[in-house]
Amino acid sequence: MLEIIKPGLETSIQDFPGRIGYWDQGFPPSGPMDNWSFRLGNILVSNDAGAPGLEAQFMGPTIKFQQDSVIALTGADMMSKLDGESIANWQSIAVKAGQTLVMGPAIKGSRGYLAVSGGIDAPSWLGSASTFHKASVGGLDGSAIQAGQVLPVKAGSGKAGRRVKDACQPQFSSDKKWQIEAVAGPNDDWIDEAGHAQFLATEWKLEARSDRTGYRLDGPDWTFTEKATDKPPENGVFPSNIIDQGYPLGAINLCGQKPIILVNDGPSMGGFICPYTVPSAAFWKLGQIKPNEFLCFKKISVEEAQALRRTLDDMCNETSIES
Amino acid sequence: MIFDEPNFSPGGDRYITVEFGNEMNLELNFKAQGLAGALREAGTKGLVESAPCFASLLVHYEPRDISYGDMVTELKSLISSLGSTNDLELDSRLFTFETLYFDPWTKECIDDYRKKINPDKEYDPDFVARLNGLEDRHQLMRVHSGSEYWVASLGFWPGLPFLQPLDPRAMITCPKYNPPRTWTPQGAVGMGGSASSIYPVATPGGYQLFGRTPVPIWDPDKRFDAFDGDIVLFRPGDRIKYQPVTRDAYDAAERKIKDGSYIYNIVEYQKFSVRNYKNWINKLDKSERF
Repeated sequence: MLEIIKPGLETSIQDFPGRIGYWDQGFPPSGPMDNWSFRLGNILVSNDAGAPGLEAQFMGPTIKFQQDSVIALTGADMMSKLDGESIANWQSIAVKAGQTLVMGPAIKGSRGYLAVSGGIDAPSWLGSASTFHKASVGGLDGSAIQAGQVLPVKAGSGKAGRRVKDACQPQFSSDKKWQIEAVAGPNDDWIDEAGHAQFLATEWKLEARSDRTGYRLDGPDWTFTEKATDKPPENGVFPSNIIDQGYPLGAINLCGQKPIILVNDGPSMGGFICPYTVPSAAFWKLGQIKPNEFLCFKKISVEEAQALRRTLDDMCNETSIES
Repeated sequence: MIFDEPNFSPGGDRYITVEFGNEMNLELNFKAQGLAGALREAGTKGLVESAPCFASLLVHYEPRDISYGDMVTELKSLISSLGSTNDLELDSRLFTFETLYFDPWTKECIDDYRKKINPDKEYDPDFVARLNGLEDRHQLMRVHSGSEYWVASLGFWPGLPFLQPLDPRAMITCPKYNPPRTWTPQGAVGMGGSASSIYPVATPGGYQLFGRTPVPIWDPDKRFDAFDGDIVLFRPGDRIKYQPVTRDAYDAAERKIKDGSYIYNIVEYQKFSVRNYKNWINKLDKSERF
């Protein structure tokens, strides 16, 4: 049992891959933003890679353990302390009943993960425990964790002293610039050559008004092909308007002139074009970038994006662990 | 236009957009829903899910199980085996919603918008009636409640249906609020562009509002069997009919919803035949109004 002393900033229960199969009803998958770090945390404590754990954002929670347990912290470095002693990320640690874990501000990366051996025992909402708090769905009661709550934990078999190999840990940017892969499409033919060149040459600043729904990017205006201007009126008045379409998760959605990357809790459909899509293997970077840092996009093919995904999945495995 | 051949384009490493055309035309949505049904039935390895929208279908696949190229080939083969859209017969449930037109709650919401954002905003039912050349709001109610509505897709918010009238004599259009409202009552009935909808929960919104239904289309606590274990009521391809009721009937329904005894009015035995539908609308004088 985990007793929540302080909740942190919208710390939430998430599992991986989340709520899959309800996109046609408008339900997003939710799930951890950085699923690489999340999965490694679970593997460290001998859980299924997708078992329910906690995602802390920017400012972590304070948690008192009501029983002996084995935990792992992964993702952002949140200067975590156990009973006042610093503890490191990327390893499994034994905790005693009565000990208190303080996860502080994220000093490197944005999102930290707490995996507990056995996994958090949260109900399944449409097949997933992931919290989608905007619609009050998932987690224990549809919302982020709150002070005074006690989170039940299932029995586990985790052992202390396991560690993620250095080469298998995600490397966070140290110069505020992140290279993010992007695949052209589905609506790339609405953007002209100059628009594409500019997209790939620009350092896009992540705006503070970004959350698990969408990442708003600050940068230059886009330019369009005839497809955007010569179209039936029901497509809408802006060049970037299209008859409402389904949005791929990761779509770089052009809302007027404002690109918004649609992430884990994003909308399933709408009336704006999506010239590029961030592939699943690059989502962990979106999970760790901070507002006012910069995204530089690198165009890759569908096949390259799929190869990256295989490499990432292979890394989220027991072979990444040393004792 | 309706494209001769659908357009396929990738969305990252795990999505394909299949675009059937670039106009608002139910024919395109029938094609998208027909393909979604064929995909489900075919059980194609690597298919995760698909989501139809007005003129396109978004397909989510698992690249470990099927390549982009092979999925496109599979989709093309399913499209050709479906043949003419006219041959489609889609599973379609019919829901009837008791609706109080010109209710006090959406009125309060509109009044609040007038007070805080735009004092010149005309009362929505009068505005929509005037814009569409109808006599008054009472004819708007007759026209709006006179047609079945087709659930073309769900989105923007989980469970929020995008509805198109199936009877062309009920086709009305209006602009959305600009700027949008900061709140809308749960169950509000309204429209924007040519699409109408029911608000599943209280959310911001931009549709012109002219009624409210007490009947939930969002049930996270699983209180009603009609949801069949789901949280949202509708699936693409369902149909909805609004039944105008009095305030007394509205209140009675609301009481039953509160104590859990409300019986949803759902008809499940029908299939929607695109051919029969087209034959019927071709016989109609589309300029007529109820």
